[in-house]
Amino acid sequence: MSIDLKMAWRNIWRHPRRAILTMAAIAFATVLLVFMLSWQFGSYDTMINAAVKVHTGHLQVQAAGYHEQQNMHLVVPDPVSVSRLLDDIPDVAAHTARATAFSLVSSHERTYGVAVRGIDPTKEAQVTTVGQVIRQGKYLSDDDAAQALVGGLLAKNLRVGVGDELVLLGQGRDGSIAATVVQVAGIFSYGQDELDRNVIYIPLPYFQEVYSMQGAVHEVVVLGTSLEAVPRIKRSVSAELKTIDKKNKLVVLDWMELMPGLIQSIQMDLISGFIMYLILIIVVAFSILNTFLMVIFERTREFGVFMALGTTPGRLTRLLLLESTTLTLLGTAMGIVAGSLVTWYFQVHGIVISGTSEMLQQYGLPERMYPQLSTLSIAVGAGLVLAITLAAALYPALKVRRLRPVEAMRAV
Amino acid sequence: MFFQLGWRNIWRNRRRTLVILTAVVIGVWSMIFLSSLMRGVADQFVSNGIKTLTGHIQVHHTGYREDPVVENSIKNPAGVEAVLTAVLPPEAQWAPRVRVNAVASNARHSTGITMVGIDPSREAGVSFIGEAITEGRYLKSDDPYGIVVGKALVKKFETKVGRKLVLMSQDTEGETASRAFRIVGVYRAEMQATEKQFAFVSMPAAQQMLNLSHGISEVAVLLAEHGQAMQVANTLRAELSADEYEVNTWQELLPMGSAIMKIYDWFIFIWFLVVFIAMGFGIVNTTLMAVFERVREFGLLKALGMKPWWIVKEVLIESFCLLILGMVIGNAAGFVSVLAISRTGIDLSALAAGMEYWGMSRVIYPHILGQDVMMANLVVFILGLVVSLYPAIKASRFTPVEALAHT
Amino acid sequence: MDIVKCTKVTKTYRQDTVVVRALSGASLSIQEGGFVAIAGPSGSGKTTLLNIIGGLDYADSGRVVVDGNVLTDMSQSALAHLRLHKVGFVFQAYNLIPVLSALENVEFVMLLQGVPPAERRERAKAILDDVGLGGMYDRRPAELSGGQQQRVAVARSIVSNPSIVLADEPTANLDSKTGASLLEIMQEMNEKKGVTFIFSTHDKMVMDYARRLIYLRDGRIVEDKIRNG
Repeated sequence: MSIDLKMAWRNIWRHPRRAILTMAAIAFATVLLVFMLSWQFGSYDTMINAAVKVHTGHLQVQAAGYHEQQNMHLVVPDPVSVSRLLDDIPDVAAHTARATAFSLVSSHERTYGVAVRGIDPTKEAQVTTVGQVIRQGKYLSDDDAAQALVGGLLAKNLRVGVGDELVLLGQGRDGSIAATVVQVAGIFSYGQDELDRNVIYIPLPYFQEVYSMQGAVHEVVVLGTSLEAVPRIKRSVSAELKTIDKKNKLVVLDWMELMPGLIQSIQMDLISGFIMYLILIIVVAFSILNTFLMVIFERTREFGVFMALGTTPGRLTRLLLLESTTLTLLGTAMGIVAGSLVTWYFQVHGIVISGTSEMLQQYGLPERMYPQLSTLSIAVGAGLVLAITLAAALYPALKVRRLRPVEAMRAV
Repeated sequence: MFFQLGWRNIWRNRRRTLVILTAVVIGVWSMIFLSSLMRGVADQFVSNGIKTLTGHIQVHHTGYREDPVVENSIKNPAGVEAVLTAVLPPEAQWAPRVRVNAVASNARHSTGITMVGIDPSREAGVSFIGEAITEGRYLKSDDPYGIVVGKALVKKFETKVGRKLVLMSQDTEGETASRAFRIVGVYRAEMQATEKQFAFVSMPAAQQMLNLSHGISEVAVLLAEHGQAMQVANTLRAELSADEYEVNTWQELLPMGSAIMKIYDWFIFIWFLVVFIAMGFGIVNTTLMAVFERVREFGLLKALGMKPWWIVKEVLIESFCLLILGMVIGNAAGFVSVLAISRTGIDLSALAAGMEYWGMSRVIYPHILGQDVMMANLVVFILGLVVSLYPAIKASRFTPVEALAHT
Repeated sequence: MDIVKCTKVTKTYRQDTVVVRALSGASLSIQEGGFVAIAGPSGSGKTTLLNIIGGLDYADSGRVVVDGNVLTDMSQSALAHLRLHKVGFVFQAYNLIPVLSALENVEFVMLLQGVPPAERRERAKAILDDVGLGGMYDRRPAELSGGQQQRVAVARSIVSNPSIVLADEPTANLDSKTGASLLEIMQEMNEKKGVTFIFSTHDKMVMDYARRLIYLRDGRIVEDKIRNG
């Protein structure tokens, strides 16, 4: 160990109590940040995956304008060739086609306006979770025709159960009246009122027949192998699409475009989180600034001697920074270790905040949340703490340059 | 005397005191300021809900909330209205409504909406709609075919004021009832979802269409304060027969709002603790430094016969002075910054879709709550003194011999 | 050859409102290899003169030349460089670096000079042996007596092969026996290595050891005599 480092180390431990308190403050901030960032990043993954799995998939091929207007005349006319094209694109894990039409649905007693969705039972189950949220009855099979899945709240409002009949009444793509009778095959419940109250699923071929779709669909939903693969897939799909969509009527939308609220709410959460962390670290920085500052008060005379011996101010600053950096690094390292352990514990066991499960369910989130320890959360957390505390250490280290040897040595 | 001494002692090392004071001030400020923002968010979430047709209290026919259809309507509203007039506090407002699910359609589009039949003048006192019209006009009390719809719906339906809109629902007999309305006004709301959901017509138009005669779906009551709801609801429950009427407060009607408020209660408290711990390290450290510099002084005082307890007291009083000063400045800074943004709020329109995702409004207005201010100051003050005990006791244990050996 | 040459050096301090005239036109030359004591009552300007010769402080006017370097024209960092290579200091209060051992204190100066570690260690040990502290290499200042600490200080001041060593009241905190043995050591270094020693003192014993004695009063040289050992 060089003399410089030795000096720094021994100087730190000249006041063990002070050193420990200072390191503890830094470690505290680091633990908190590592945990909170892991928590935030973890919950974003959960949120995105939940939303993607329930609603949109990672990407959708739609007719331009359909996403904004939900107009049933804006269609993907030839889903078969789109799907053939998707089969050849790497990183595409699964894909399926859907069609949606607003219709009146009536039971014996009641009538409601709902969104009727045509889904491909087998493929849909590979892309979204609909197959896993059937609470009564059974999921659709590819052979089914006049069968429907009904949301739990809607079934309650309509006063129907599995096996009952429903009348659908809407408008076909060609303007004709679309009317049919379907049987309730199953009742699903996502826990999200919006979906459970307003949606009915029927098999896609049957939908296309009833609503005169002439083979067209409204969206082709794509699930990638991972979230990171989405931009790549989007590029390939957009490029390939040009070969079959000469008139440029189709667009590829990723989950961020399909759910702008989701990505913005994540941004909002990140921003507000960072504001809080910043305030917290600044409080910590002022809390420990005195430790660094005391060095100047207590060791002025010693600095005078250093200068008398021929130490340049620059070197003195380096010596001091070495000392404060060592102290800060030690605190941060302790914080990283402790923070990782705490986070890891909850990553294994999960956290339930009592009283929030209902609310989380409404956003499609599980009640037990898992922080996700990552190099990113550690690096960002520790990096923020390190940067700001070192900035605090800089002040005294620079101040020492203004010392003049004679005055310094005269100090008590 | 002790306080003067303490006050002078903390200024023996000006810079050091200023540094730790800064930590306390920033800490206290952040407690006041951020808690007021969080309260603002929760408050607006609830206020939005209340303004968006919930009100503080709703009275329904028993069964309506389970199954919100026309059959479950209040057949004879006059009885309820008499009770309301009799027992509600004078500043309270109330409005009757017919509320049913319906399908709206024009030549090109159709979608599910909620049709609300209102008494325009009463409704204006209870919900947002009275001052939300941006195009066209508000409803008249007996408008037979006028309808007011949200901006988002107008856009989706590619329509405008003056155009026709057909509503379809079920009447009291279970028969399909439909009626062609003409758009007379367009409203804006905090959230697009609201604009897409609610279409307002006059009460007689709705009753006629649904074959309801004088029946209504609900009465919404708006009180002067959120907090009064429970008590007023209890009075109403006493007056209205439980077999026939159901009285609910906003806490029951907006479970999400109550949940968010509860979560924020915890979150604010944890934030207070975390910030305190961050500054607590500094308080202990700085007080320790100050105490160790004065080993001689404390040793001598002891040699002169001062009791250890007095030394503890002296050190605690110094912390007390520091804490009080930090709290006064921190609180003042907190109040000033809240005041500074209270008029304009914090505009998060850039993230409007994100706010909407959570059902929050795009402008946050801070809201200072007495209980938060008290809690913040108590946490800082009490815990601040508690952590100062350590250096104080340390100081009281210096022996005269140690003190004299110390240079 | 003159290793130090001061010409009409003046220096005033301002302490709050009081103006203290520490040096008022002091001129002197000191030859290489000298063993010189500057004596005088406290407040006569001894320490100020030493500080100015050592490049710790600037003169207000006049000219100071040390080993061919005109100090009065040099920047702070040039002065630091000069102190490192040409000047050794011994202080009344020893002023060792408390967190470093005896050996490391001596090594530290060579570290600043950029001497390689192995050579550093060897030279530091040799010089500590010379001042009679063999076997105490690893003691920290707090574990050494005053006399021992001051010997480390002497070793530190001389290890960098400076042109001059400036010792400000080196014996003031020592008893007379320890003081005498310290002076013996410094004398030995002076003779063996040819390093110029300049003391400030009002200790009779130091004056007795000096080969030249300069008296200072009110910032002026009032007497300058060569003594023959």
